[in-house]
Amino acid sequence: MARALLPLALVGAFLIVAPPFLDLGWQNALINILIASLFALAFNLLAGQAGLLSFGHAAYFGVGAFAALHLMARIEDGLGFPTPLLPLAGAAAGLLIGLVAGFFATMRSGVYFALVTLAIAELFHSLAPHWQGVFGGEAGLSSMRMPWGGLIFGSLIEVYYLTLAWVALSILLLWGLTRTPFGRLALALRDNEQRVRFLGYNAHITKVIIFAISAMFSGVAGALQAISNETANYVLFASGVSAQVVLYTFVGGATIFFGPVVGAVIFTLFAYLVSDLTRSWLLYQGLIFVLVMLYAPNGLGGLIHQHLRHRGQLDWSRLARPYAQATLGSLLVAAAAIFLIETLAVVFSRDYAVARRDAGGGFPAYEVFGLNWTPLSPVPWLLPLALFAAGLWLILQARHPIGTLWQRVRAGSEPDVNPS
Amino acid sequence: MRHISLIALVVAGSLSAAPLAAKPLKIGIIESLSGAQTSTGRMFANGVHYGIDRINAAGGVNGEPVEVVEYDNAGGPTEAADKFRQAQADGINIIIQGASSAIAGQLTEDVRKHNIRNPGNEMMYINVGAEAMELTGEKCHFYHFRYTSTAPMRVNALISTMKEQGTLGTRVYSINQNYSWGQDMQAATAADTAMGDYEVVGEVLHDVNKIQDFAPFVAKIKAANPDTVITGNWSNDLLLLMKAAGDAGLKVRFATAFLDQPGNIANAGETALGHYIANAYDNSAADGSFADDYKAAEGHLPTFVEPQAAFAVGALQEALAKVSSEGGDVNVTKIAEALEDTTYESPVGPISVRKEDHQTIRPVVVSKVVKNAKYPADDTDMGFQMVKVVPGEEAIYPVQSSCEMKRPG
Amino acid sequence: MEFYLISTLNGVIYGLLLFMVSAGLTLIFGMMGVLNFAHASFYMLGAYVAYAVSSAAGFWVGLLVAPAFVGIVGMLVERFLLRRVHAFGHAHELLLTFGLALIVEEAVKLVFGDFPVNYQMADTLRFAAFTVYGTDYPFYRVFMGIVAIVMFVALWLLLSRTRIGIVVRAAERLPQMAEALGHNIPVVFTSVFGAGAALAGLAGAVAGAFYPTNPNMALELGVIVFVVVVVGGLGSLQGSLLASLLIGLFSSFAVGIDWSAADLLALVGLGDWARTMGGLMTMQVSSISATIPFALMLLVLLVRPAGLMGERG
Repeated sequence: MARALLPLALVGAFLIVAPPFLDLGWQNALINILIASLFALAFNLLAGQAGLLSFGHAAYFGVGAFAALHLMARIEDGLGFPTPLLPLAGAAAGLLIGLVAGFFATMRSGVYFALVTLAIAELFHSLAPHWQGVFGGEAGLSSMRMPWGGLIFGSLIEVYYLTLAWVALSILLLWGLTRTPFGRLALALRDNEQRVRFLGYNAHITKVIIFAISAMFSGVAGALQAISNETANYVLFASGVSAQVVLYTFVGGATIFFGPVVGAVIFTLFAYLVSDLTRSWLLYQGLIFVLVMLYAPNGLGGLIHQHLRHRGQLDWSRLARPYAQATLGSLLVAAAAIFLIETLAVVFSRDYAVARRDAGGGFPAYEVFGLNWTPLSPVPWLLPLALFAAGLWLILQARHPIGTLWQRVRAGSEPDVNPS
Repeated sequence: MRHISLIALVVAGSLSAAPLAAKPLKIGIIESLSGAQTSTGRMFANGVHYGIDRINAAGGVNGEPVEVVEYDNAGGPTEAADKFRQAQADGINIIIQGASSAIAGQLTEDVRKHNIRNPGNEMMYINVGAEAMELTGEKCHFYHFRYTSTAPMRVNALISTMKEQGTLGTRVYSINQNYSWGQDMQAATAADTAMGDYEVVGEVLHDVNKIQDFAPFVAKIKAANPDTVITGNWSNDLLLLMKAAGDAGLKVRFATAFLDQPGNIANAGETALGHYIANAYDNSAADGSFADDYKAAEGHLPTFVEPQAAFAVGALQEALAKVSSEGGDVNVTKIAEALEDTTYESPVGPISVRKEDHQTIRPVVVSKVVKNAKYPADDTDMGFQMVKVVPGEEAIYPVQSSCEMKRPG
Repeated sequence: MEFYLISTLNGVIYGLLLFMVSAGLTLIFGMMGVLNFAHASFYMLGAYVAYAVSSAAGFWVGLLVAPAFVGIVGMLVERFLLRRVHAFGHAHELLLTFGLALIVEEAVKLVFGDFPVNYQMADTLRFAAFTVYGTDYPFYRVFMGIVAIVMFVALWLLLSRTRIGIVVRAAERLPQMAEALGHNIPVVFTSVFGAGAALAGLAGAVAGAFYPTNPNMALELGVIVFVVVVVGGLGSLQGSLLASLLIGLFSSFAVGIDWSAADLLALVGLGDWARTMGGLMTMQVSSISATIPFALMLLVLLVRPAGLMGERG
């Protein structure tokens, strides 16, 4: 763990020192990254460490958000509760609901477990808009952060530091949990539940506790979002939110502790940077997810972890060229895909259909990436094809040397401690 | 080394804060540009762009063109909150949004809190489509303006017009979506019984955009035997309802709020003939100059929600003209005060602002679906024909007691 | 009386539609243990392909081409994507289908737009089958029901009476044994997945002409299909049919049920108390009719995960 301290310290220093100099948009993005990371880590406690795949974690995130918002509204009315401790409400709500939900959900395993969690989240999602008192109907609840202890909590930077403090604390606690015997028990459950039972442990109670802790930290994440946005809405229970956290975790890598953080950072940044540039950014997200699932089953974090683990044994000088080839090839393939998708988006759009009608049924020119193209000429179709072919060729060229070099490493080292 | 670069940063920062020339007015469109409501959000944005292009063609504000930035809120209040922060960071002065009352609720609160926390640097929110009553009720505040109608306005217009035409009947059924808008419609329908001389023979609220099969609802409606069905449904909910009614051979008149959403007429087919709609504008209600102008600028006739967004920006243009004659930097409070006093002459009638709650008093156009209309919809041979333009004073609803607006200064 | 009759008819037809969509999923899960999140996406794809083809070549051609196209897509997905991920475990398979669902939805939006498209049934089918109490009952609904029943009968006969069916069932029970006996199990898996996808595609092609074809189709139907498959029993065709009919009938009747928990409590004199409590107590069954299938699914999963007629425990 010692060698991980230096990069962690650098990241930590950046997170503490840099934000006041960034603009509001970036501060907000950082807050979202922190919240997403915490949510993903809490999810992974259940999924990666205990091996229980939950498809309805939005329920606990949402419950935490609403609990925090109710408390915030009480404080606004005069209750003397310290504003910085608002996430405790989220933790409490998450823990409580997590205990109940977990008790029932963990009675099943595998696909059935996933379906139970899905059903629970959908139950919340369909009930909440009707339950005006607790969930505020379809407009949701809204409140305002009240000053406490000399801090007004009016500006975004104060919210940022509050979020940072709570996320850091939660990550520390989660990491600490993995180091305890109980955390090891969770791993054991994932690998072989029967053996754990034979050793005398009550597997069901263990699973319930893990579920509850996972839900608790999800509740903290939800509370932090409620504090940041000062609203909570029933859409927090939507399947999309549960889907997002699954995406973050598995793209980042469920088998190493910081894997989910990698996924959360990548996707949140991606959404922040790309969502205003193109209408197809959800498609790109889906494609990235599927590609990672196919070619990097341990996630991108897992990939990085593998490289760090074996950096002594890898022949870097030999690897440099094929890696560069593979990277260039991937970039070309990505460029081809993006060009094709953006072109299709324009050509199939309504505006283009109108333009075609005005042009009397022909195929007028359209604009993509600031340049004009015509659909009838072969150029806009051959270009992505050429890029794709070139990229693919490079990747295939690089595949063999990379494969052999890694085989040598694997043959010479111990087997992975955490198989997928 | 770090100290020097830090000092440089601070100095550069403070230098850039000093204005060299009058800052241009920045308008942010925070709309649903992806997700389920994309087409609606896109149309609001189109209408706004049309209006702003006209402002800039006339010379802009203080000689500077108005800057427009689009933000995609992906149809959700959470993303809307994020984009609001981005808009704050970008120095946006006026936010415009319309597709979704839930998002409007989020944005209006965000604007209100921003203004409390940043006195002197206020932002304004022009709501061009969100019709939940609470936005000019509980959540009203000085820097929000509602440039669209609400459920009571639409229902009032429909009832009075259909009664005049003799097509209302005495038995009315109310079917709506179970959220604030649908509940508002249901309440408005129930409140007008005396005025319209009818009875509400049944009312139902159903899940929003989840029902696949409206046949059971049609069966219920049939059992109640109404003359007219009033519904605020939009998107699939309206389409499926009308399809099911058509399939079952239910001979009833529909009075709707969103029948002109693109795709509805084509999908409903002949069953749509004779149904009514109450909205902000229809091409057949005006003399055609606005429609031609819009078509020349945007490439298509103004449809659905584009006109109301364009009118809102038109009113803003007049308010800006009053303010910029005084010169100086952008002062949102002055713009808001000027907007309060602006009466915009839309192609269907005057639109003025009610100071107590910032609801616009505006005409409501009631139209009917006919064959061989002057302005066909959805590439079919059917379209809307204006029946009556209900003037603002007749359509408007009373100020809600829940609105306690704090005025600046 | 009219309400009950119409509701029963509608409920049965809606249930049969649900069966059409979930039949494929039941088959795939029973066979391969893969809960295909992209199944509803195949349904949507079928509807859109049928729309695209029927715009050019007519409704019936669309009806033929759509399931074929979706079936091929399904086979490609299984052969090149699922099989790769199979080695990484069930979770990864689940996740892959999940990502696939996202991609299909976004791709459809890319090509066809983010709004409903005008997929219409053939004019020859546009008449009233019969008239009940003054209400016309559209023939197309009956048509959908017929297609669903034909599908059920064909599948059942295929699985229980033909050689292919026996091989498929053997592969489901003991894949290694079946392979040892010389059957090409990977091909069987691919074909079953393709067949399941084709069924969903057919359901989409048929239903899309009646219900609006829009990009939210997959989301709308997707979760209900899971409910059906769980309640019926993962892997059981008959259970799937039974559960579909159950849920279809319930959804149909629930619309007319305006009771709430408070009404029930009023029977024991606690009505006023319940009404002042508000919240859950006063919610009418008709307004939360969409919630109840999930409660049912939860109940089944917890009490009897094998569902009504399931074989896998």
